[in-house]
Amino acid sequence: MEQMDLFRCLPGAMAAIRHSLQHEVFQPCDERLLAFVHVTKALKKKKSSFLCIAITKESPYTVNVIQVKKTEKNFYKKKRSWPLNTLKLVDGKAISADSTDFDLVFDKVYKWSATSASERQNFIRSLWKQSFHRQDKPEFKNVPSDWLGSERILPAENETPVIAETSEVGEVEDFQALTEKEEQDLILLMQECGYAVSNAEAFMETLAKDLSILDGENVQSVLASEERVSSLMAHLDEAILEVEKVESQLDSYDEIISHVRTTMEKMEEKNMLIDIANRNNQKLLSELEKVIVELELDSKHQVSLVDADLTTPQGLREAIEAGQALQRVMNAEIHPALVQLSAVQEQKKRFDKWKSKFSQIISRHLNNLFIHLGNDPGESSVQAGELNLPKHSNLHKELRCYTELMHWTKVMDRKAYAALSKVYTSAIGKLYERDIRHFLEEAKVYVSGPIVVAQGSKDEAGAKSKGQNVNGALLGIEKDQWPEFDANERLRFHQIFERVLSQLEPVVLAEQQFCVTFFQLDIVSPTSKNTLTTLDSARVDAKPDEPLMSSYKVERQMNEEVRKMMGDIFGSIEPELINFISHYEKMDSMYCLHTLVRLTEHVMSTQDAGSFLSKSFGPVLVQVKRTYDRFMQNQLQSIYDCRGNRRSKCGILPFVANFDFFARTAEQIFKDTSRRADLDKWYVKLVAAMFEAIPAIAADHPKTPTEVIKMENFHHLFDLLSRLKIAVLDSQRKEAKLKYNEALKGYVTRYFGRPLEKLNLFFDGVQAKVGLGVKESEISYQMAFSKQELRKVIKEYPGKEVKRGLDHLYKKVEKHLSEEENLLQVVWRAMQEEFIRQYKYIEDLIQRCYPGAMIALEFSIEDILQFFSEIARSH
Amino acid sequence: MSKKPAPQPALHKVIMVGDGGVGKSALTLQFMYDEFVEDYEPTKADSYRKKVILDGEEVQIDILDTAGQEDYAAIRDNYFRSGEGFLCVFSITDEESFQATQEFREQILRVKNDENIPFLLVGNKGDLDEKRKVTLNEAQSRAQQWGVPYVETSAKTRENVDKVFFDLMREIRSRKMEDNKISNGRGKDKSKRKKLKCTIL
Repeated sequence: MEQMDLFRCLPGAMAAIRHSLQHEVFQPCDERLLAFVHVTKALKKKKSSFLCIAITKESPYTVNVIQVKKTEKNFYKKKRSWPLNTLKLVDGKAISADSTDFDLVFDKVYKWSATSASERQNFIRSLWKQSFHRQDKPEFKNVPSDWLGSERILPAENETPVIAETSEVGEVEDFQALTEKEEQDLILLMQECGYAVSNAEAFMETLAKDLSILDGENVQSVLASEERVSSLMAHLDEAILEVEKVESQLDSYDEIISHVRTTMEKMEEKNMLIDIANRNNQKLLSELEKVIVELELDSKHQVSLVDADLTTPQGLREAIEAGQALQRVMNAEIHPALVQLSAVQEQKKRFDKWKSKFSQIISRHLNNLFIHLGNDPGESSVQAGELNLPKHSNLHKELRCYTELMHWTKVMDRKAYAALSKVYTSAIGKLYERDIRHFLEEAKVYVSGPIVVAQGSKDEAGAKSKGQNVNGALLGIEKDQWPEFDANERLRFHQIFERVLSQLEPVVLAEQQFCVTFFQLDIVSPTSKNTLTTLDSARVDAKPDEPLMSSYKVERQMNEEVRKMMGDIFGSIEPELINFISHYEKMDSMYCLHTLVRLTEHVMSTQDAGSFLSKSFGPVLVQVKRTYDRFMQNQLQSIYDCRGNRRSKCGILPFVANFDFFARTAEQIFKDTSRRADLDKWYVKLVAAMFEAIPAIAADHPKTPTEVIKMENFHHLFDLLSRLKIAVLDSQRKEAKLKYNEALKGYVTRYFGRPLEKLNLFFDGVQAKVGLGVKESEISYQMAFSKQELRKVIKEYPGKEVKRGLDHLYKKVEKHLSEEENLLQVVWRAMQEEFIRQYKYIEDLIQRCYPGAMIALEFSIEDILQFFSEIARSH
Repeated sequence: MSKKPAPQPALHKVIMVGDGGVGKSALTLQFMYDEFVEDYEPTKADSYRKKVILDGEEVQIDILDTAGQEDYAAIRDNYFRSGEGFLCVFSITDEESFQATQEFREQILRVKNDENIPFLLVGNKGDLDEKRKVTLNEAQSRAQQWGVPYVETSAKTRENVDKVFFDLMREIRSRKMEDNKISNGRGKDKSKRKKLKCTIL
């Protein structure tokens, strides 16, 4: 209310309200605000609203009184409205202009209280202006008469209501200025009596005199004109009579005219209604026309639909056109409400009939075609003599012309579409299954040669039994016990397997591409309805979340569909491929290295990572990887299981010897492929196993000394690793060298004692005594180590004996060592060196412990060298 | 299962001799493993074996890499005896090593008792020409005097490394073929041994 008071005070605010009322309420319904008053209901003071007078902008102009409310959200809203011509009474309640209450009587009495007197006045005056010229104008009661009177001057016959008046209505002024003429007369008068200012009394007198003269004259003339006056009066009376007559005449005319006017008004209203009806009819007509055009199906198409000939290109083209036309009309853009029309529904039924007929034709035709094409031989490619998987581009070409019909079926008859794709997958799936089986059989022929496969099953059985007997090519088993294999066959397998994979790829890819376009797998159907049409009366609007499906989800769904279809068509790839691989792995487990590497390369390099092929290679790859790990595990186990040759010389253990071939083969296969890490991992494990197994075998060999086995095998391993230069095994290479040298030293010292055994024992004792603190010069006083004893021992080793001992040692060493490792010279050299070292050591001890005793060994260093030379010459 | 398909390839036994530090091991390792080891670690003796293709024929080469310094020359007798051909190596940057070749030559001839034993004089460290102490002329004239080929090598750059081993193997091979002719197709080893023994006696 305070806000309202504020409005009352500020004309600016009034104008603003006026503007927003006009703008918000009346403009939208093509009305113009004429006047308004801010009121409250007389009884409920709280609810304030605006009473407005508004006029329509177009003819016929009608004036309404409208109650507008201001909502809480601060905008205006029409609450009630009454046509002005239903206003029966305006009751001002009090004549006073300061009153604020007034009643309006329409169908009943509405009591109002304006917020200001001036607004009330304004409003009532406007009401008067707008209604006084009407015939059945409302009665105005208790309203100051000058509010009504002043407006009478307005031309009543002006039918267009006064619009701008409201703003001009201001306070009525009491002051009346002198007219121009009066002013001039006064000035003239004043001039005539130029002296008047200086002598007012004289002027007064003059004026009084003039007045009395004029009075006299006036009376005289009055008297003189009495007669004329009475005749004038008579004339006037007469005239009045005449006027009255005319007036009554006019009244009667007026009555007639007013009758005509109401008729005219009514007619005008009727005209308007007719006009509206007309327009509506036109709209209806055009709408109907549109519907009919939209739903019209060319008779040519109708014929094509019912009697489609899909075998000729001409017929096919027509059928496709007809199908598209049908799809178009069935998806015509028609207002949903119109769909309810029974005519539309009838048309829809007809469409449905055509649709199902057409769909039947397509289904039958494609069904037959699919089954027929299931026998497609495929085109073998150019070079004969090469392994080939037949391609089916002809088949695809033949079907491609039906692509549009297929798409049509997908949209228009989902069930038929599903049935067709099922037939296609099963027919083509069988075709590919046959192809692939044949292809892989042929691949086997290419790998193993035709003779082997001619007795296929026998050979397979043979291979199996072989595998069971020998456990395949294991590191821990002598190489000549390995199952027979043909290096060429391996190479061929490598090539053929590669070819198998690279032949599969384009065929599968081509089929996938074809299926995606032919079955439109790249478009996700928005609904699950059988037929996509807008003519369905029971149309459920697409679920709102569906169009919002993220592109990621769409893609995933698409991929899933594609994969499912491809999985159905190429279901045989995985088992057949596994079959093929395991066939060869059974024959020779080494093949798993080839398959692992080749397959990995293919999975990595397929252009389309999400393609069905790489997905279906996946499980095969997993299987192959498992086989590979098992293979390596077997190799590892065979190293632990190896016992070496126990009957005679141990020599190089099989796993050390075989590692060369094994590593070379593996290197050749793996080279720098992405599986390198898998190989390296196993290398390290295998070599680590060897480092464990060699000493274990060496420790309990019945014939060959431990050190020899270690020495020879580590020497061989070092040589091997140096040659292979496998980066991950470098530390193992160094370790092998270390172990080799260790073993060599161990061997030399252990076996060296032999030729001079007793001497050695004697001097070991001497050394021990010295170690216990006995002075070197006092050793000879010890009983066990007296000069006598020494001489006795020395006597046992005359030069001849020593030579015999050395000869014996040489032969022994020769017997221990294997020919193939060729370490005899190395060992012998070390032994010679050691022998000389010991000789010098003994001589030295004799010099120190038995000085001056003139005791010496019975052979000199020259003798030893002579022995060596003789041994050298004797071999 | 299967009998060994191919007969064992011919085996040629090569001995590396020469003073310490001239690069016998370096030459051997370069030939065997294509690697050059900078660190010097005196060898005592080591044996290597490798299969190579010699003029289209697969043969095996046994290399005995020996110690340059040996307290007693007689120790060498045994392995000299086992050798069929010798690479006598010196360093072109070391005059003394060149002189030492004379001694090695004499011992070999004595032990093998054969003037025509396959033998190559090898001047190693050819990459260090600016430090050269032994002229090409000197070396060549000594080789000429002995009636053996002289080849300069570099174990570091691999220059002529294969050449010296292969040249020596060729000499060994032709020598064996000669022996075979002489003994009228009898087992070569046997004949050779017999023949040598005879000379000793």
